[in-house]
Amino acid sequence: MTSPFSFKPLELPAALQPLRQRVRDFLAEAGRDWSGWKVGHSWTGFDRDFSRAVGAEGWIGMTWPKQYGGGERSHLERYVVVEEMLAVGAPLGAHWFGDRQSGPLLLRLGTEQQRQRFLPEIVKGEASFCIGLSEPNAGSDLAAIKSRANKVDGGWRLTGTKIWTTNGHLSDFMIGLFRTGGDGKVKHEGLSQFLIDMRSSGIDVRPIRDLTGEAHFNEIFFDDVFVPADMLVGVEGDGWNQATSELAFERSQPDRFMSCFPVLPPLIDEIRQGGDGDRLAARRLGATVADLVILREMSLSVLGQLAEGHAPAREAALVKDLGNSHEQQIPNLVRELSDCPATLARGNRLSELQGFLTQNVPSYSLRGGTREILKGIIAKGLGLR
Amino acid sequence: MSNEQTIGDLLAEQVDRLLGREVTRERLIAVEDGSFDQGLWQALEELGITLALVPEDAGGVGLGWEDAEPALRAAGSWAAPVPLAETLVAGWALGLAGIDNPGGPLAVSDLIFQLDHQGRLSGEDGLVPWIGHCSHLVALAERGGERFIALIPRDDLQLTAVETLARIPSARVVVSGFAPAALAPAPFAGELGLKPALAAARAVQMAGILDRLLALCVDYGNTREQFGKPIGKFQAIQHLIADLAAQAAAAQVAGLYACRQLDRGNGEHGAAVAKARAGQAASRGAESAHQVFGAIGFTDEHILHYYSRRLWQWRDEAGSEHWWAERLGRQVLAAPGAQLWPAIAG
Repeated sequence: MTSPFSFKPLELPAALQPLRQRVRDFLAEAGRDWSGWKVGHSWTGFDRDFSRAVGAEGWIGMTWPKQYGGGERSHLERYVVVEEMLAVGAPLGAHWFGDRQSGPLLLRLGTEQQRQRFLPEIVKGEASFCIGLSEPNAGSDLAAIKSRANKVDGGWRLTGTKIWTTNGHLSDFMIGLFRTGGDGKVKHEGLSQFLIDMRSSGIDVRPIRDLTGEAHFNEIFFDDVFVPADMLVGVEGDGWNQATSELAFERSQPDRFMSCFPVLPPLIDEIRQGGDGDRLAARRLGATVADLVILREMSLSVLGQLAEGHAPAREAALVKDLGNSHEQQIPNLVRELSDCPATLARGNRLSELQGFLTQNVPSYSLRGGTREILKGIIAKGLGLR
Repeated sequence: MSNEQTIGDLLAEQVDRLLGREVTRERLIAVEDGSFDQGLWQALEELGITLALVPEDAGGVGLGWEDAEPALRAAGSWAAPVPLAETLVAGWALGLAGIDNPGGPLAVSDLIFQLDHQGRLSGEDGLVPWIGHCSHLVALAERGGERFIALIPRDDLQLTAVETLARIPSARVVVSGFAPAALAPAPFAGELGLKPALAAARAVQMAGILDRLLALCVDYGNTREQFGKPIGKFQAIQHLIADLAAQAAAAQVAGLYACRQLDRGNGEHGAAVAKARAGQAASRGAESAHQVFGAIGFTDEHILHYYSRRLWQWRDEAGSEHWWAERLGRQVLAAPGAQLWPAIAG
C-alpha cells in the first residue's frame, strides 16, 4: 500500500465512562475557583496541592505496578484522565513530568532501589520532576551539550549549565543529561542520565522571566555538584538513546494539541450571547472541531500502537506537528470570532485566557522539539536526505 | 482482527496491484476524453471490489465501510478512472433498502428527489459523475417526510453534459415524473440522504491521492538535482514534503473515521468531521506538491495534475469542507460552550 503511515483506529470502550465522569466531578469541585489566567497555563501550571489531590485519587502513575504505588490500570484509562484534565486546563505541572516521563524512564531503566524510592513519591504527588536537556549552546542541536559528569569516589561531579528547564525552580528532582565520556567526535555518544536532587549543594537555579511576565523556566548552574553513584539512570554512555526513545509517547499525547482547548467554551458562549453566530463563526468553529477530532483519533491510534509494543515515532512526530499548529491558531480564531476588547480584563474568563494564550502559544512549537526538528524527523523517516 | 478485516486488506492489496499495473496516463486521458474503460472495470469486478458493500445474500461481498476503506483508498491513490466509489455507495444503499443490484457501474446522487403519490419521481442534480456510462442512478427520494431509495434507469433521465475540474464524464440530471425501476423505504437515511456516504467515499479517495502525491514528491526530491544536489536535501523542500505528509496522514485518519461512523449508523457526524478535515488536507497537500514539482508539475504532460485536479474536484463534491464545517459549527453553537467537550469525548 502507498501510505507510509499506520493509524489503526483505537476505540475507547464505553466501560471507561464512569471513570470519565468521576474525573469530571472531581475537576468541577477542584477547579471551582480557577481563573482564566491560571487555566491558560494548563499542564505546565504548578500546583502541588492539586497534584496531591490527583494522587490521592490514584490518577498519577496509573499504569505502573502496584508494588511502586501504581494503579496497574490501562493506558486507555490514563488517557481518559489526562484528556479530561487538559479539557479544563488543570494545573498538572507538579506531577506531569514525573507521570509522563521520569516515572516511565525509571520503570524501564531504573534500579530497583531508584524505583522504590521515587515512584511512590511521584504517585502521591509529592515528588516533582523537571527535565534537564537544553543548554545555552545546545538547543535544537541537543547532542551538542557540554555539561559534564566526572567520575569521582562514590559518584559523580556535575559541572555546566542547563537552560529552559520548565518548573526547575519548583521541582524536587531533575533527570539531567550530562556528558560522561566519548571523544566528542560522535556527539550522541558518551552521554548519561542522572537523577539529581535539586537541593544538592552547588546547584544555582535562576528563574528566567518570560514574555508573559512570569517565570516558568530556568537557567540552572551546576558547580561541582556531587551525585551519588546509584543515581545514574540506566547505562553509562547510553543517555542519548534513553532520553530520546520515549519521545514517541511524549509527542503523541493530548497535551500536544489541547493546550488552548479551555478557551473554546467561553468563546462559544460569547458568540451565542451575540445571537448564535453567523456563517463564518460556524464554519471556523466547525473546522477547528473537525481538526481536533481527527487529532484525537491520531493520538489514540498512536497510543494503541504503543500498547501493542510498536514504536510509531513518525506518526507521533506528525501528531505533535499538526497538534501544535492546531493549538497555535486558536487565539487568532478567538480574535476573528469575537470582538475582544484591546484590554486584558481581569476577572473575565475569556479575556484572561485569550490574554495568556496569545502570549504563550509561540512556545508550543518550541517545547518538546521545535517544529523544524520535527519536520526533519518526518522527512528523514520518509527517506529524504 | 476480524475475518472481514483480513478480506478487506487482501482486497486492497489486489486492487492496488491491479491499478498500479493498469492505470497509465494514456488510459486516464482516454477516460477524460469520454470513453469508458471497460477492461479496467471488468478486472475490478473480477476482484469483487465493486460489490464490496453489497450484502452476501444479495450476491455481494458483505463488507462494512471500515473494511472496504483500504481498497477504496488504494483506488484513489491511482486515480482509478472508473466509478468505483459511486458504485460502492449505490450498492450499499440498494443493499440496505433491499433492492436488487442491477450490477455494473452505478451512478449516485447526493441530492434528494421528490416522490408524488402516484410514485413518480421529480428533481434534478447539477452534477452526477459517470452517469453517461452507467445503467442506473441511485438516489434518495422523499414523500411527506418519508425517505426511499430509488433506482432510476438512465434512459428516464435527461442528461446535459457538465464540465468539472476532474474532467471525469459528468452530467446535470433532470428527472420529471417517471416511476423509478425500484423503490424501497430507507429508514437508515438521515436528512442528508446519500450525501454523508458519498462524502465519506470522497474523503477516502482524497486520502489515497494524497498518499500518491507524497510518494511522488519523495521520489522527485531524491532524484531531481539543483545546485549540485538532490532538492530533497534542502530543508525548505523537506519541510514542504513533511507538511504534505502530515496532511496525507490526517486525511487518511479522517476517511477511516467517516467509514467507521457510517458502519455504526452515525454517518452524518463522521462525514462532517472527515470531509471538513480531508478537504482542508486536499487543498494544502496539492499546494505543497505543486511547489515541490515546480514548473514541470504544471505541465499537461506531467502526471501530477491528474491527481491534483481530482483533489480540487472532490473537495467540492458532496459538500465542501466549508459546507460541512458550517454544519458542524452550527451544531456546536446550538449548545452552551460547556457541552463542547462531552460532544467530542462522550
